[in-house]
Amino acid sequence: MIRSISGIIAILSYAIALCGILPLFPWLATLPRLLLVGGLLAAFWQDRRGAWSLKNWILTSSTIPLFLYYAFQFNRSNAVQPVVSMLAVMLTVRLVGEKNGRNYLQMYALSLFCLASSSLFDLSPLFLVYLASLLLLIALSLVMLTFHAHDSQMVLARQDLRRVLAAGVIMPLVSLPLLVFFFPILPRTQIPLWNVMSVPISRSSGFTDKVEPGGSSSVGESATLAFRAELPRQPQQQLYWRGTVFNQLVGNRWVRDPAVPAEVIRYGSPRISQIIFPEPGRSRFLLALDSPADITFLRSRRYPDGIFEMPGLSGRRQSYSAESSTAGILPVVTKVDRSFYLRLPETIPARLRSLGEGIRQRGGSDAERVQLLEDYFRKGNFRYSLQGLPTGDHAIEQFLFETRQGHCEFFASSFAIVARAAGIPTRLVGGYLGGEYNELGGYYLVTEQMAHAWVEVFLTGRGWVRVDPSSLAVNAGGVWNDSRKRSLGLRLRLAIDSFDHAWNRSVITYDFERQVNVAQSAGKRLQLVSWKQILRASIKPALFSCMMVVVWLLIKNRHRLLLSPQERLLRRFYRRMKRDTVITVNRGNRQGLFEIAAESGNEKVREFVRIYAGAVYRDRQFTSSELCRLKRLIREGFSSQL
Amino acid sequence: MNLSSSHGAMTSLLTTLSHEYLQGKEEVLRLALVALLAGGHILIEDLPGLGKTTIALALAGSTGLSFGRVQCTSDLLPSDITGLSVFNREEGHFTFLAGPVFNNIVLVDEINRAMPRTQSALLEAMEEGRVTVEGVTHLLPDPFMVFATQNPSDQSGTFPLPESQLDRFLISTGIGYPPEHLEKGIIAGGGIRERIGEMATIATAADIQAARRQVAGQIYLSPKVVDYLHSIVLATRCHPLVQTGLSTRAAISLAQAARAAAFLEGRDYVAPDDIKGVAVAVCAHRLGMRPEYEAAGKGDVLREIIAEITLPLV
Repeated sequence: MIRSISGIIAILSYAIALCGILPLFPWLATLPRLLLVGGLLAAFWQDRRGAWSLKNWILTSSTIPLFLYYAFQFNRSNAVQPVVSMLAVMLTVRLVGEKNGRNYLQMYALSLFCLASSSLFDLSPLFLVYLASLLLLIALSLVMLTFHAHDSQMVLARQDLRRVLAAGVIMPLVSLPLLVFFFPILPRTQIPLWNVMSVPISRSSGFTDKVEPGGSSSVGESATLAFRAELPRQPQQQLYWRGTVFNQLVGNRWVRDPAVPAEVIRYGSPRISQIIFPEPGRSRFLLALDSPADITFLRSRRYPDGIFEMPGLSGRRQSYSAESSTAGILPVVTKVDRSFYLRLPETIPARLRSLGEGIRQRGGSDAERVQLLEDYFRKGNFRYSLQGLPTGDHAIEQFLFETRQGHCEFFASSFAIVARAAGIPTRLVGGYLGGEYNELGGYYLVTEQMAHAWVEVFLTGRGWVRVDPSSLAVNAGGVWNDSRKRSLGLRLRLAIDSFDHAWNRSVITYDFERQVNVAQSAGKRLQLVSWKQILRASIKPALFSCMMVVVWLLIKNRHRLLLSPQERLLRRFYRRMKRDTVITVNRGNRQGLFEIAAESGNEKVREFVRIYAGAVYRDRQFTSSELCRLKRLIREGFSSQL
Repeated sequence: MNLSSSHGAMTSLLTTLSHEYLQGKEEVLRLALVALLAGGHILIEDLPGLGKTTIALALAGSTGLSFGRVQCTSDLLPSDITGLSVFNREEGHFTFLAGPVFNNIVLVDEINRAMPRTQSALLEAMEEGRVTVEGVTHLLPDPFMVFATQNPSDQSGTFPLPESQLDRFLISTGIGYPPEHLEKGIIAGGGIRERIGEMATIATAADIQAARRQVAGQIYLSPKVVDYLHSIVLATRCHPLVQTGLSTRAAISLAQAARAAAFLEGRDYVAPDDIKGVAVAVCAHRLGMRPEYEAAGKGDVLREIIAEITLPLV
């Protein structure tokens, strides 16, 4: 296949333009979007036709009104959109207009700018893909343009094309080590420079700062990522992620009273350490596996009920480490403010109150009462559901006595109200349940649809005991069971997510602090290593590089190693001549053999040359006697004393 | 190698002439023999009094070949060279009186003094090997070789040979002054014109014809040597000082001359050295230099080109 060079450049240029347009496209206003699409189509159509009907000066002058329009739009609160739109318009003009070398270069620069400006809105790992392909394509195009400038009609054969492509690919590849070198050093931003304010804060279902069953008749599930947690795989029934504690019922709504009564929890062991990567801007509560004994987060606040709170919401990506004890019981050393955890508003429906009163009278101790309450739920034929939910002020009452189906908030809320009515100190815990374990990245992926609420009851002598009323539903097994098989789509999603996580972890959140950390730990490690370790570690790379050098030498000297007998003989002859005579031979093979012989005036040299040339210039191999004679001549040498 | 008999005659011719008669003219003699063996002609460009005529005379004298001489002047007519038909009154018809061109070796002295019409008649004879006078074609003797000379310094009243006619000469060379000790010997011994007349025949016309046949048919030219020759030709075509490089005919001539040179060396194959040895004499006068570099020596340019090209040695 033979392609004209201008055709190749056209294809490369479209690819480059697409690499610039695609990442920016979602953030553009409608007009620039339409212009870009139209421009691409027009350019493609004109290319196919081979005629460029639009003059460049017409196009350029027609952008002036647009430019003015965007210039007037520009102000401090709206700085980026006009600029980005103008970039798109200029790229369109370059696409549509006729192209010479300079126009192509302008187009490449504009595409690069477009891609760069897309990072003002979004820092997705896809940026890397686009940037890599853009750089590769531009390098290739520059090579092609050089050819094009030399001869625009040039046609490249397939083999030449392959060589040029290889050269073009090598250029960016060679710069990779530099990239690796600069990555830990150069400063970077963790948040999209422009799009800081538009971090999504609202969402449909999931973790909230209040629990209010009865708000709507159904709840949509959202698969939005809530957080990732790096830790070894845990039993699925232990995956309660503690977020917050609701300790006060106000009307129908469970809220958190920040004035948490003082108590001291003695966390058991073993502890499970984990690193949590929450999505930015979600919640101020620091999530961790229930129940976190310690969370390392700068200026975080710890409440007595085992809740951690960050100082303020931030759009930054940050991570923290946590130590959790997963026993499901929080032993309390001090006394617990029973009256605080028994408070109920007066408006509690009488049926709930009487149910609680009945349980209190039947049970001899708090533990028995909890047992009775659990039995009530277990035998009450309750169903877990996100549909057909009771609404309104009496939602809890309806759930408990009539519809008997609801989601975790109904279960937890009603359980807690009845338990408090039965005289058991109770509080509601909000957080997440479950998680998809990603073996590739070694972390749990927790989405908003896994948001959950459960209950902690205080039993004297034991402490706060976790009770999950939702698990008492008749269909709990079907909902909570993790035995379902992972579909191919889910596995694929997990694989992509692990890439996203790696990107966030190692690129986006790689900040100055970590740069310093890396430098410090490297210094410490260097102090610790001994020479033996260094030697041991360097043996393999050293061997490998030695091998590479040998291979390289072999390839480089393959001519010498694969010499023909003539060549070997000639080299020996030259060496011998150098040793035995004063004549400089082999001046870049520009001296004839007979010339050398005449210059030497040596009969043996003449004989050698006569035999040698007689075979070489007659295009035949040496006979064995000739070869013997030649070798003997060389062995004997050509010094004139002989 | 079955070059022995004719090759022996030729080498003894060369050694006798260069050692006994024409000391210090070995290279010119060698080139003249190359031209003779390759069936070409030689143009000797040098100052008067350096032995141009003597060489031609000696070559003719030692081979027993017939010798003719044309001294060119501006009023020389073509018929003065080719001969003319004269009416024989007694027999009542025209008889053709052969001109000096009907000899084996023809010395054309100061060829650039003849007017173009005459030059062209001569060169036609050189190329075709025959002469047509008044509708009758007369074959020239075999071997036939023209020894043309011209004086490069004296340019007034001359008609310089056009490039197309220079191309007809296989070899163009100078003579140069003889080395000091030889020149002193020549001065002491006096000229050798008289002795040339008494020279014994060393090689016969038959020897020369046999040698010519061997040169044409039995000297092997290896493809790699052809590659080398071709790379020289190509290099002349893209040299910055050269306007018109070597033609294909020039390349053929070079190969022929190289064959003859190899033969003289006693080899039945052409070595790159042979090509190097004759290249300047065969090719320099065929180069067309760019007008602005007209002054540059063609021979020097060619030597420079050849020095840059690697020889096939394996």
